[in-house]
Amino acid sequence: MKKKVLAVILGAAMIMSLAACGSGNTGSDSGDGTYTIGISQFAEHGSLDNCREGFIQGLAEEGFVEGENLTIEVENAAADQGTTKQISDSFVSDGVDLICAIATPSAQAAYNSAMDTDIPVVYTAVTDPVEAQLADEDGTPVGNVTGTSDELPIKAQLEMIREILPDAENIGIMYTTSEVNSVSALATYKELAGDYGFNIVDVGVTQTADISLATDDLLDQVDCLTNLTDNTVVNSLATILDKANAKNIPVFGSEIEQVRIGCLAAEGLDYIELGKQTGRMAAQILKGEAEASEMNYETITEPGFYVNTAVAENLGVTVSDDLLETAVESFDSISS
Amino acid sequence: MLELKGIDKYYNPGTVNEMCLFDNFNLTVKDGEFVSVVGSNGSGKTSMLNIVCGSIPVEKGQILIDGKDITGMKEYKRNRKIGRVYQNPAMGTCPSMTILENMSLADNKGGFYGLGRGVNRARKDHYRELLSQLGLGLENKMDVLVGSLSGGQRQALALLMSTMTPVDFLILDEHTAALDPKTAENIMELTDKIVKEKNLTTIMVTHNLRYAVEYGNRLLMMHQGQIVLDLAGAEKDAVQVDDILKQFNEISIECGN
Amino acid sequence: MGIYMSILEQGLIYGILALGVYITYKILDFPDLTVDGSFPLGAALTATMITKGVNPYLTLPASFLIGVLAGICTGLIHVKFKVRDLLSGIIMMTALWTINLRLAGTANVPIFGNDSIFDNDFINGLIPESLSSWNVLIVILVITVIMKILLDLYLKTKSGFLLRAVGDNDVLVTSLAKDQGNVKILGLAIANGLVSLAGCIFCQEERVFEISSGTGAIVIGLASVIIGTSLFKNLTFMKATTAVLIGSILYKACVAAALKFFEPQDMKLITAVLFLVILIIGMERRKKVKKNA
Repeated sequence: MKKKVLAVILGAAMIMSLAACGSGNTGSDSGDGTYTIGISQFAEHGSLDNCREGFIQGLAEEGFVEGENLTIEVENAAADQGTTKQISDSFVSDGVDLICAIATPSAQAAYNSAMDTDIPVVYTAVTDPVEAQLADEDGTPVGNVTGTSDELPIKAQLEMIREILPDAENIGIMYTTSEVNSVSALATYKELAGDYGFNIVDVGVTQTADISLATDDLLDQVDCLTNLTDNTVVNSLATILDKANAKNIPVFGSEIEQVRIGCLAAEGLDYIELGKQTGRMAAQILKGEAEASEMNYETITEPGFYVNTAVAENLGVTVSDDLLETAVESFDSISS
Repeated sequence: MLELKGIDKYYNPGTVNEMCLFDNFNLTVKDGEFVSVVGSNGSGKTSMLNIVCGSIPVEKGQILIDGKDITGMKEYKRNRKIGRVYQNPAMGTCPSMTILENMSLADNKGGFYGLGRGVNRARKDHYRELLSQLGLGLENKMDVLVGSLSGGQRQALALLMSTMTPVDFLILDEHTAALDPKTAENIMELTDKIVKEKNLTTIMVTHNLRYAVEYGNRLLMMHQGQIVLDLAGAEKDAVQVDDILKQFNEISIECGN
Repeated sequence: MGIYMSILEQGLIYGILALGVYITYKILDFPDLTVDGSFPLGAALTATMITKGVNPYLTLPASFLIGVLAGICTGLIHVKFKVRDLLSGIIMMTALWTINLRLAGTANVPIFGNDSIFDNDFINGLIPESLSSWNVLIVILVITVIMKILLDLYLKTKSGFLLRAVGDNDVLVTSLAKDQGNVKILGLAIANGLVSLAGCIFCQEERVFEISSGTGAIVIGLASVIIGTSLFKNLTFMKATTAVLIGSILYKACVAAALKFFEPQDMKLITAVLFLVILIIGMERRKKVKKNA
């Protein structure tokens, strides 16, 4: 009997909470100069969080300040694909003025939800918008959707590695076979490596548990490692650095955080900057200066050079003063 | 005719716990016989039934039905010609299905379980008639889930279901043991009626010596994997419960219990 | 309105998955983890077929069939090689990860530009312009209701009776001179066919195949089955399959509500707690029939 009562209460609670979430936001009135933006973020992740922060800063630079003339709703799908769709659907039904989607699955879901409306979608942290069918081969949008790509500055990275390690031949890359971004970045590496006299040795993993073995295997064949923005690999960076340091093999990173915790150097992305750039694009759309459907997607204009001098010292690698001077940020200690 | 020839059966073969149950066990049951089997726990009664039905394999020997060797035949294939009722009334029925559905399921035994309608409406009156013979009022509860019936009602239904289609053998594995005395009596009478009506060759394992003496036309007593008493015909008719009980006590004392 | 429509759409799609899980979990009493692999299996096949320009409606039967194959494999591993039920599912789920990746080519295949079962000349002609925003929901509703009715009808056939019997009391199935192993394989095949079909529809609704879409599918399925069958246990006029579909919609509603009120990091814990509470409410220890050999 008690259980039955509990069941009824639970059922009622579900329906109540549902009613509550339906009546939360009834959309914005663009007429009075205030705007509502829905941010749909795919997962909790340092880089994606930075994108979001940068996006809000970028909007603020252009005069859209949260709490003043801008309402921002942030939803996170906790890495569940079905949930991303629910989030973007709810933004569409709330009638937001613009959806900002962070990471590929959220961008695809937002585009899908907003397809039949006039709500523009601005994405960021999508590595390959063409592959994701968000843009055509020439970079023009497939619909009312545009944004920024977090494609790695691979050319700059290869140039930088050549400069720091003039004699290196083989670069090792570890990637997760199920991460589309990694697979496409690896292909670019292979395409460009020859131009700089490098040979790419790659090894694919399927899960965190494979990393230790794969690292040992890779370290025997290469002069240095370089990272992609592969989630599985980056999350296990500490393991990889440990093993590489034991063999005195340098590891190059792909963004600032990795250099901070012990990669030698990186020509990388600053996701805050990427977010800001995205925020400025969104501001243009809100002001009516441009249409999302007419804006090509953008990549980060200038990659930043990051270096960790403590790591260089440990490995006995010299980084020329000329190069050091160009660094956006240089660390003299390893933080873990 | 059912024959067990030179059966060897070990439990846990190849381990320190190896235990020999049957060593060159032989038994012949003629068509139309109603054999009651008694014996102490561990004497091999239920194992013998399981060997006949194919629920457990044997190490050596042959099982023949009408001269045909079925030793290697899978259990479910043998069951085509065998009806079996278990001690636990839950084993012979499906609790989450209705009486009507259970009977329809059993009625199709030996047939094809395809995409035809599960419940055969045309047979409903026939099922009702069968149920009314039980005298339990089940004929008015045909849409009730079997799970909500009492143990006795379920066992009666199980007995009915196991003999709905033509079978050569009826195997009764202490089928009254889990029931109260009154219900057990009813089930036993019902069993006798069905066996006589359909002229079924029957093997019944029971702990109730009175049933063993009163019903059937042959009586076996088993002990440590061997048949120690085998009475049929006039001998069986003459035997009294006290005689059997005496014999039973003797072997038990030998054993030291 | 939109959020309710989204909940209904997803609830009904996952409802088909839940019907499959209902077969394995409730009818067969088999905790089948193949689901985490067979859901994206249907999606992978669908994305591949659609990018090749195949008529989108053909993806429905094709996905069902490929799911049936996956279910048969799990069944064979369990029945023929006597691997435990849970392990058989885990083995198949693991194998399907690679198969899905190979089938689709990559981990993420968008199908924005292609026809789908929701968006093609036929359906646009059939449903008037004024209702076009309901296209997706209408199509999903039709497919889900058809699948539910087919399953209801099947469970009333002789074969369906045998399937219900095998989970209830497999000894009886043997007594009926039927190989219980084959009946279990049949059940797993139908269940995974439904799950794969759900994956097919999900892929077209999302307009993208994503390898990770199967992660946690079994949890959603189980939660839907348990919510549905527990909440409506006492409504005897309601079919279990109906209850399961409503359970699936309620589950999606819970997710939507939880997203509004809690932090995303807490989602999994909330799901787990909700799951546990419902499980305790619906606790009805199924009396397992023990074989008294």
